[in-house]
Amino acid sequence: MKISLNWLKDYVALDASVAEISRALTLLGLEVEQITRTGAPPLSHVVVGEVLVRDKHPNADKLSVCTVDVGPAGGVKTIVCGAQNYTVGDRVPVALAGAVLPGDFTIKQSKIRGQLSDGMMCSPQELGLAEAADGLLLLAGRPALGTPINEVLPAGDVVFDLEVTPNRPDCLSHLGIARELAAWFKLPLVYPQEKFRGRVEGEAHPELLRGVSVLSPEDCPLYTAHVIRGVKIGPSPEWLRQRLTAVGLRPINNVVDVGNYVMLETGQPLHAFDARKLGGAEIIVRRATDGEKIVTLDGKERVLSSRMLVIADAHKPVVIAGIMGGENSGVSDDTTDLVLECAIFRRQSIRWTSRHLGLTSDSAYRYERGVDPHTALEAAYRAVDLLLETAGGRVVGPVCSVGGDVPWQREIVVTHGYICDRLGFEIPAAEMRAALESLELNIAREELTEARGPAWWVTIPSWRDDLDRPIDLVEEVLRLHGTDKIPSAVVTAPGLVSDDDPVVRFNRRVTDYLVGHDFHECVNYTLRSAKEIATWVSQTASVELALANPFVDDQSHLRPTLILGLLESLRLNQSRGVAASRLCETGRVFIERNGHNFECAAAGFVLAEPVGERAWLRRDQPDFYAVKKHVAALAAAAGIDLAAQPLVPVTGAYYGWQEGQSAAAGEMAQGWTARFGLLNLAMVKSFGLEGKVYAGIFAILPEMLTGGAARRRYSDFSLMPAALRDLALVVDAAVPAGDVRQTLAKLARAAVGDAFGLESLEVFDVYRGTGLPEGKKSLAFSLVFRSAARTLTDDEVNAAFQRIQDEIGKSTAWAVRK
Amino acid sequence: MQATLTALVAKAQTDLAALKTRPEFEAAKARLVGPHGELTALMKQMGTVAKEQRPAMGKLINETKTRLQELLDAALGAIATAELTAQLGPTIDPTLPSPDVGPGTYHPLTLVREEMCRILRKVGFTVADGPEVETEYYCFDALNTPADHPARDVQDTFYFPDTARFGNVSKKTPGERYLLRTHTSSVQIRTMLKGPPPIRIVSPGRTYRRDTTDATHSANFHQLECLYVDKNVTVRDLKALLDYIFASLLGKDTKTRFRPHYFGYTEPSFEVDLSAQHLPKVKKEWIEIGGCGMVDPTVFAGVGYDPEVWSGYAFGMGLERLAMLLYGIDDIRYFYQNDLRFLKQFA
Repeated sequence: MKISLNWLKDYVALDASVAEISRALTLLGLEVEQITRTGAPPLSHVVVGEVLVRDKHPNADKLSVCTVDVGPAGGVKTIVCGAQNYTVGDRVPVALAGAVLPGDFTIKQSKIRGQLSDGMMCSPQELGLAEAADGLLLLAGRPALGTPINEVLPAGDVVFDLEVTPNRPDCLSHLGIARELAAWFKLPLVYPQEKFRGRVEGEAHPELLRGVSVLSPEDCPLYTAHVIRGVKIGPSPEWLRQRLTAVGLRPINNVVDVGNYVMLETGQPLHAFDARKLGGAEIIVRRATDGEKIVTLDGKERVLSSRMLVIADAHKPVVIAGIMGGENSGVSDDTTDLVLECAIFRRQSIRWTSRHLGLTSDSAYRYERGVDPHTALEAAYRAVDLLLETAGGRVVGPVCSVGGDVPWQREIVVTHGYICDRLGFEIPAAEMRAALESLELNIAREELTEARGPAWWVTIPSWRDDLDRPIDLVEEVLRLHGTDKIPSAVVTAPGLVSDDDPVVRFNRRVTDYLVGHDFHECVNYTLRSAKEIATWVSQTASVELALANPFVDDQSHLRPTLILGLLESLRLNQSRGVAASRLCETGRVFIERNGHNFECAAAGFVLAEPVGERAWLRRDQPDFYAVKKHVAALAAAAGIDLAAQPLVPVTGAYYGWQEGQSAAAGEMAQGWTARFGLLNLAMVKSFGLEGKVYAGIFAILPEMLTGGAARRRYSDFSLMPAALRDLALVVDAAVPAGDVRQTLAKLARAAVGDAFGLESLEVFDVYRGTGLPEGKKSLAFSLVFRSAARTLTDDEVNAAFQRIQDEIGKSTAWAVRK
Repeated sequence: MQATLTALVAKAQTDLAALKTRPEFEAAKARLVGPHGELTALMKQMGTVAKEQRPAMGKLINETKTRLQELLDAALGAIATAELTAQLGPTIDPTLPSPDVGPGTYHPLTLVREEMCRILRKVGFTVADGPEVETEYYCFDALNTPADHPARDVQDTFYFPDTARFGNVSKKTPGERYLLRTHTSSVQIRTMLKGPPPIRIVSPGRTYRRDTTDATHSANFHQLECLYVDKNVTVRDLKALLDYIFASLLGKDTKTRFRPHYFGYTEPSFEVDLSAQHLPKVKKEWIEIGGCGMVDPTVFAGVGYDPEVWSGYAFGMGLERLAMLLYGIDDIRYFYQNDLRFLKQFA
């Protein structure tokens, strides 16, 4: 909102500098977004002079040597001048020695090409009146010689562009801002003089306005209409035009301008109708009917609905209430009789209508934020005064007023001690009291209390609906004291009252792991496209994870996986010619199960085969088993031992993964899930990526993360030497090694018995091909035996090893490979 | 005899130096000093030596034996060295680059978030977390944001269809809609509903606004909020926290300024400005960095805390904005593109 400094000075005698005022506004909570200066800045030693003689400079073609009379300011001066647009007898601004022009340009006596020059004749640019100029400023009207130039030039103004917070609709006006500044600078606030104050002279003219009926009182708590007869439409006086222009409004005519002026002065929107255009000479405040139309003043046709409030005459809507008038009832050059509307509309109604029509205005902006119904009539009286002053005419009956019958009364009781306690520092009671009263928060009663200093009964004015509780007054006191005067302090920090959330700790652990394994941490958007999710995750997910109101089509769904974002990051790097192979991300994913979505904590990574890599030394390419290790680490960070979980190879039912090259563990029914391996080659290719991409993702319900695992217990280990045996088994090629290992371990432990232990059992070789029957593979295991108490003898180990082999022969379909 | 011994040593010296492998060495050793070796054979001839020559001859044999053992040790040493040398690859060129990728890097948003969390932990704040899918109650109602507030408009907030069901995001009332949280303040509400004060939490996380993406706006971004609830928490304490945070983060020359402002969930409310002209690309004297205030009594009443007993403050800021300020980044979209040339700059 634009606020003119000259205008403010109508209500408060500000003599502070612009910088001081700007700082005051900022510290009061009115953010200054921009400061614009208009007109001439203050210029000393610049006066009116007249060119008496103009001679050519003896040493320069384009310069003249002039004799200039500045009258009482210094008599006749010799001045060298380069301008061409003047003649003898012109009066021009003359900067005398000692003047400082905009841009810190100091004028002093000097010699120009050998000629003495005692001052400078000025162009509009040199005076700061224009960005560029091609010649001297020629002063019209022959102002007296020696007159200080500021008395001749239009006064400058300073316009502050302010951001007003939504709780302060009272500051959407010059009076509101003046009140704040008056309080800050401890100056009196002077309200405009009012003359009319509702005194209607002359007979009633029901043919102009028979009456006002409000059919939707809940949307329009107050409606007043004054009838003014015999106005003459014309341009506004200069002062009014200047005011409006300064704050960015275009002057239209005296009636429209007065409406705008009073709105900008008081914050109360006003609207003037041409009384003769009101059909049936009546005003009806009602809801529009669905499909009803109106052409607004901006020339556009608007289709209304039954939730929208209109001001109508007997036949048609004439105004979209509080937002914009219609072309059909506006003031035109031949208007002679006015109906002046001053009303209050429900904020929510105006906001809804404004949003739905995509139509806003200075009036709608103020109504949406709340206009004080208790000062509305003051604004109407002020407008009447100015209308009579600028457009003539007189107020005739009837004055219609509907509603507005709820009186305003509010008092807050607060103590000095309470305010100090909330602030954490002392402000003297007298200063607090003065601060409150300077904002017209008058203290109706003061009582001394025993412990908490004086207690105050504070009367809240109707325009401060935002003040309702003692805490609200704490803010008022602090604002006027100055937030820059809050004394500094140290942070007092007792012990921690909790630990970091388990989800946070999980994220840290997995990120540390992945970054420690050379992954680059990425951050991708949470929202992705339906198509992608249908392709990569599932059809159901692409339905269940949809937003109701996406902003753009390709960001319409919650992400069910981190891998899509990581693939996109890979693609971006590839397309920019940046080598990227290891990316990771942690964050929320949303997994659908049986029609419910579950928000999960997740960690994922991609490991791409380097494309077009030309390293001087080749390294092994990534593979499934590399990925498996990383996923196991992610699961471990969540307290899940992947080795103890059933792992299944993925089949065609898993979207996005390459069959036979990837695996899955966990299900959302258990509260977590992991998928890892090679991404589907064809899908990766059609995604726009070259080369194989391995990936892994682990997701878990946040509530399953409990933080630290139970404390570990030490278990004893043997210091005796181990006995090693290798055993190769020929099994069906389709049997997973893990199954064989599990059965073998069980069988071996049984065969060894209690005499000593099978310490470990691991696969160390997998073989298919020559020497083996079709459809078989050989799995070689390394068995480690150890006793807790003694060194094992070859004989006892051999006997046990034989028992294992015998048992394999008896109870399994495996053959021991000799 | 003496000549034979000298010849033996001379021959051994030549032969042993040529040995390449351990078997060759063992064979040579047996040939020289083994039970059937040449020296042993010579020693057996001692009996034939004249008695008076025996001491001198014995000495000579011992010297020869010692000499041979030295030669054998040296030969074995040479073989061992040769064996180790054979394990070596070609000589390295220390100026060639490692073909291995790495090291990994943390995202700048993570770095800034963790730095803030560390700074705050020193003064007693621990990290809280909450769902990104929220309900109207936790995101708005409980934070004193009325039903008709512009922030709740479908133009500004992402909502889910009424049919959407989230298995692990609780609703306060059955009728309320699910949405994507517009700020992390919902975590404060969930934390306060979980237990009594004192509370001292920092909640960093993703937030969402229905906004056009450009150099300074992003539909999803990250916030970090602090909440402190205790007895006798004051405005002065709040200012002290902000002074502490930014002095820790940006150095002692950093100043903070409170500008009175308005938020529904705090009273009084302030916007926080920073003066840190030593940072790169900072041109203005004051830069807006976040919002804060004293928790509004209405919010306390809503979560069942007695506003007469408890007071508190809250502070929130955008992490992208902070990271942009700290690192001098001028486009928010870079955080979400993950160009490695960007990511590698902050490790």
